[in-house]
Amino acid sequence: MMHRIIRDHLEEVLAGPGSAPEHPAGEHLAACAECREQVAVMREQAAVLRQFHAESEPEPRPGFYARVMDRIEAQAPLSVWTLFFDSMFGRRIALASLALALLIGVYVISSEQMPDPEIAGVGGLPQAKLVTNLTPNEATDLPQDFVFSSQPRLTAGAPDQDAVLVNLVTYREQ
Amino acid sequence: MDHRNSEEAALVRRVQAGDELAFRDMVERYQSKVFSIIFGILRNHNDAEDIAQQVFSKIYFSIRNFDFRSSLLTWIYKITVNECYDYLRKKRVRRLVYESDFSAEESQRMEASEPAVDPAPLADARLAQRDLAVKLLSKVSEEDRSLILLKEVEGHSVEELAQMTGMNENTIKVKLFRTRQKLLKAAQRLGRVGGAVR
Repeated sequence: MMHRIIRDHLEEVLAGPGSAPEHPAGEHLAACAECREQVAVMREQAAVLRQFHAESEPEPRPGFYARVMDRIEAQAPLSVWTLFFDSMFGRRIALASLALALLIGVYVISSEQMPDPEIAGVGGLPQAKLVTNLTPNEATDLPQDFVFSSQPRLTAGAPDQDAVLVNLVTYREQ
Repeated sequence: MDHRNSEEAALVRRVQAGDELAFRDMVERYQSKVFSIIFGILRNHNDAEDIAQQVFSKIYFSIRNFDFRSSLLTWIYKITVNECYDYLRKKRVRRLVYESDFSAEESQRMEASEPAVDPAPLADARLAQRDLAVKLLSKVSEEDRSLILLKEVEGHSVEELAQMTGMNENTIKVKLFRTRQKLLKAAQRLGRVGGAVR
């Protein structure tokens, strides 16, 4: 374990001045073998690290900036749109999707504008009515086993009304 | 020291605003420094060119994150050292993958055979020391690594480092002390005290 006085002045000690005998750290170093040993090892490491210093500053080959820009372009993040517009296949897919969307849009709009026959019919009736056309007396005269051929229902057109009337006529003839 | 009002801060702001000419200026201003840092660590011109391109590409994409807390050079220095270590890590992985393609018998035969390259440089103690130092530095954090390299390789004083990084001098001293201790312990674990091959 390195002593506090050396820890506090370590950079001075490693650089040299801190090791001087008149320096408080130097005084301690002279007396403490453990600190002296650790400082020696750290000096050795610092000397090895200094070998990383390149004596001369090597210059890159001409055109370095252009090569950097090429790399930047190659590494630029791809946009979704470039996928569509940079390749013929992508453009065709985009075009087909656009055409499909257009078709669906046209279909949806035109189907919304066409009147629904049933809804339009109900809306067109002044008042829906039960299709029996029987007076209360006639209705009570009907036998117990009389069954309507169709369930009485709200209807909008004449065909259903006629069907019930036909049933009634058929019953009277019987 | 305020890094917001310097000439380099003005250059950074122009690059952040998307000025291509300013970026070109930045590349030309720092390319030699970047090359020398990389060459100092790797000692290989071809690798230095490739890594330098990657460094400037990284600078281009992350310049918006530069917050002026440290000097531009400190920031570039850190990116450069990190790229060197990234390169060394990938190279090691590639070598491991390459070696794993051989059977155990083939690997043994290759190890026993004479090396294809001149063995003299490999035996060089200085080279071995450098390799060991690279290995030891990989055991400390990115920040500590660039700090100790700025101190020992670039020769900056504690006061200069404090100005460059925006930290106070005591913090720098404590960080350097801890880094040196970590390097010492890592060397002891590898059975090589200091950084010397014994």
